[in-house]
Amino acid sequence: MPSLASTFKSYLLICLLLWPTLSVAESFVAQIRHAKLIANDHNFSVQAKIDYELSPTAKEALHKGVPLTWIVRLEIRQIGSFWDSTIYKQALPYQLQFHALLNQYEVLTPNNESEMFLTLNAAFRFMSTPNFTKPIPADLLQTGQHYKLAVKCQFDRESLPVPLRPFSYLDAQWFLSSNWYLWPIQK
Amino acid sequence: MAYSKIKLPASASIFILFGFILLSLQLMSSSTQESSELSQMHSWLLVINTLGSITLLALVIVNTYSLVRELNKKAAGSRLTTRMVSLFVLLALAPAAIVFYFSVQFLHQGIDSWFNVEIDRAMDDALELSQSSLTQRMNWHIKQTRQIATQLENKSDTLIALEIGSLWAESGATEIAAFSSQGRVIASSSVNPSDILPHLPDEQIWLQLKQNKEYFAFAPGDSDGMMVRIILPIDRDQNQFLQVLYPVPVRMTDLADSIEFAFIRYQEMTFLRNSLKTSFSLILLLVLLLSLLAAIWVAFISIRNIVAPVKELVKGTKAVAEGDYKQQLPVMSQDDLGFLVESFNQMTKRIARSSDETRAAGLEVENQRAYLETILSNLTAGVISFDASFHIRTANQAAYRILHIPVSHFVSQTLPHLASQHNELAELLEAIQHLLEKADDIWEQRIVFLGPNGRQELLCRGTPLFLQNGNRMGAVVVFDDVTDLIQAQKNAAWGEVARRLAHEIKNPLTPIQLSAERLQHKLAKELEDSSAEFLQRSTRTIVQQVEAMKRMVDDFAEYARPSKKQVERINLIDLIHEMQSLYQPSGITFNSAFASDRVIIEADPVSIRQVLHNLLKNAQEATAAQCQVSIKINKVIKNNAEYAELGIYDNGSGLHTDQIETIFEPYVTTKTKGTGLGLAIVKKIVEEHGGVIWVDTSYNAGAGFVIQLPVFEFGNSQ
Repeated sequence: MPSLASTFKSYLLICLLLWPTLSVAESFVAQIRHAKLIANDHNFSVQAKIDYELSPTAKEALHKGVPLTWIVRLEIRQIGSFWDSTIYKQALPYQLQFHALLNQYEVLTPNNESEMFLTLNAAFRFMSTPNFTKPIPADLLQTGQHYKLAVKCQFDRESLPVPLRPFSYLDAQWFLSSNWYLWPIQK
Repeated sequence: MAYSKIKLPASASIFILFGFILLSLQLMSSSTQESSELSQMHSWLLVINTLGSITLLALVIVNTYSLVRELNKKAAGSRLTTRMVSLFVLLALAPAAIVFYFSVQFLHQGIDSWFNVEIDRAMDDALELSQSSLTQRMNWHIKQTRQIATQLENKSDTLIALEIGSLWAESGATEIAAFSSQGRVIASSSVNPSDILPHLPDEQIWLQLKQNKEYFAFAPGDSDGMMVRIILPIDRDQNQFLQVLYPVPVRMTDLADSIEFAFIRYQEMTFLRNSLKTSFSLILLLVLLLSLLAAIWVAFISIRNIVAPVKELVKGTKAVAEGDYKQQLPVMSQDDLGFLVESFNQMTKRIARSSDETRAAGLEVENQRAYLETILSNLTAGVISFDASFHIRTANQAAYRILHIPVSHFVSQTLPHLASQHNELAELLEAIQHLLEKADDIWEQRIVFLGPNGRQELLCRGTPLFLQNGNRMGAVVVFDDVTDLIQAQKNAAWGEVARRLAHEIKNPLTPIQLSAERLQHKLAKELEDSSAEFLQRSTRTIVQQVEAMKRMVDDFAEYARPSKKQVERINLIDLIHEMQSLYQPSGITFNSAFASDRVIIEADPVSIRQVLHNLLKNAQEATAAQCQVSIKINKVIKNNAEYAELGIYDNGSGLHTDQIETIFEPYVTTKTKGTGLGLAIVKKIVEEHGGVIWVDTSYNAGAGFVIQLPVFEFGNSQ
């Protein structure tokens, strides 16, 4: 039977979680090292390098069997006078899950293929180079126009178990998404 | 503030509101299930419900603020609304808080009951058992693979290709393959003949292989099964590698998967234990807040609707208390409050009708009173009413005219108190007071007193007033100034006397005079000298006395005869100056003090001259030594009319108190010589000119007379 103190602690937690001010003491966000557009014969491909990081809470959740999902978002934006317009977008979801029996990490690729890794670093290494398989048509970019390549690695909170979701928006331990990485394109 | 009528048990809008709230809460509740499709919307539903709670909280705060403002303004119905809302909140909050507290308690207890040490240990043991089993199988396959690798060591690629088929058959593996360190396949053999190419290691495996020089791991099989992948170097130089894929029995795979799934689920639940508690508590709190705030808000609206007729009643009652009896309130419902409002409307109608009737009656009484007051104020007789303790209640204008005291001074005062303030009326007022106290019935008395304008004679009639039970409630005194009437009666009597004197006395005088003269004429020659001289002396005396009697009768006739005045506008000052210049040679010293040098009166100059002459002559005769006469003229206003007040004061012997009352009557004189008609004629002339004359009793240095004459024009002050 939970004590009165623990009940009070729960209420206090609720209040604290609902409190809008957040304490971000340490950052665990993913970093996009680089991203660039490579011109091929008839299309473009994108190369990117992402460094993933897990907070202690996220690491504990992973080892307790909670699958974690990142969505690597790719956008090509045309620079406008007032605002940019997105002319192309692509999203690649990567799901990382730990298998306690085999003591291996499984990465579910955007193509629904499963890759098993003995270490977490090996899994992250695999995920660090997203495979944008869908080529970008060459005629998408007009000559004389200015474009930006935008890449972001977004941690998908909505794929977490339901009880974790509300708090993942408030707890800095779950702020695992990267910022937008912007790379100018000139054609 | 008017509120729309609420149709109990609840209006459609309230039903819809509660429907939305219930739907939203149900959706949120359903979304907590991972298996539910709504779980994807859980965060949104949480946000929507939170926003709903904040909106309802804002509504409740606005309503509370509005109620507090009404309470501070002491608006009608605000206290009742506050009391009802407070009661409702208390009644709703207390059980809801208790239910919430125990629900959270049960929830936490329920979640905690899912976990215990035994299950933890069992789960760990089961996983460990599975891992041991798989590890044992793995070790056996590693040993088997090492033997195969040893058999292929130091053999050429061709020999390897020849032997690998037989080795595969002996090992029972799914696939066996030899490849160089560059990934070139040397030879392979598979259970599936269609597989031309072996399942070569991918990049990640190559990476680990380069690091560890060997690789063994469980990997997903082709058909949802599991396999063991073992890669070992064939030679010491590690230029060739042997990869063997062993199948894992299906039953073992299924069991292992089942154990892993249960373990993972249990681990996940353990990790989410506190999150689950907090999450469910949060949802419970949201449910409580939404329900409670919605109920409080609806309570505000409902209570205001219920209190609205009461508020109208309070306003109506206040208006009635302030005298507005025409209040009619709208009947909002047909319930008990509606009946109350209808009764109030009927009551105000009746009160308004009664009030109108009372007002009409009051108006009638007021008209009657005003009518009586008008009559009383226009009466020439003074009327004073007294209460039971002889305090003056009312007095009319004539009382002021007669007594020369402002009416306002009369009210609420007793006569003795009034007498102490007005010494000149003390005699009269004390006499009336005495009569009032003494009389039990109607009384009448003629009271003579020396007022501010000289001698006055009042005819007083008093009537004590009694209540129906016989108690005295006061008295009424009616009095009339009969001074002039008595004087007129006296004048008429004197006129009659004069006529009779003229007829009865003057007629025999001529024969007496003639007879005396004839006796003188006839007997003077026949008598001796001494007798003749005596006769002459006697007849002369007779003739002289007859002449004196004739003059007396003529004077008296003159006094009694109505005068024939030649009225014209004259300056009284000029007339006085004229008389002063006439009397100054005879030794009279004048001290004059005139408020103006232009006092025009409409009068017969001969008569006024005679008045001044008589008064100055009296002064001269009354003074033994140096005669000094002071003449003053001032303007006075009486009864809204201007009068010139002429005061003539001498330094003579003065008048005795008992002479003052009769000094203006004929044949009253203090002199040894004189007819006693001088002052009577003066008074007659003054009164014929609309004036009054009286003895100034406050003057003690001699005799003082005050004459007031109507003035036509009184010039500016000097």
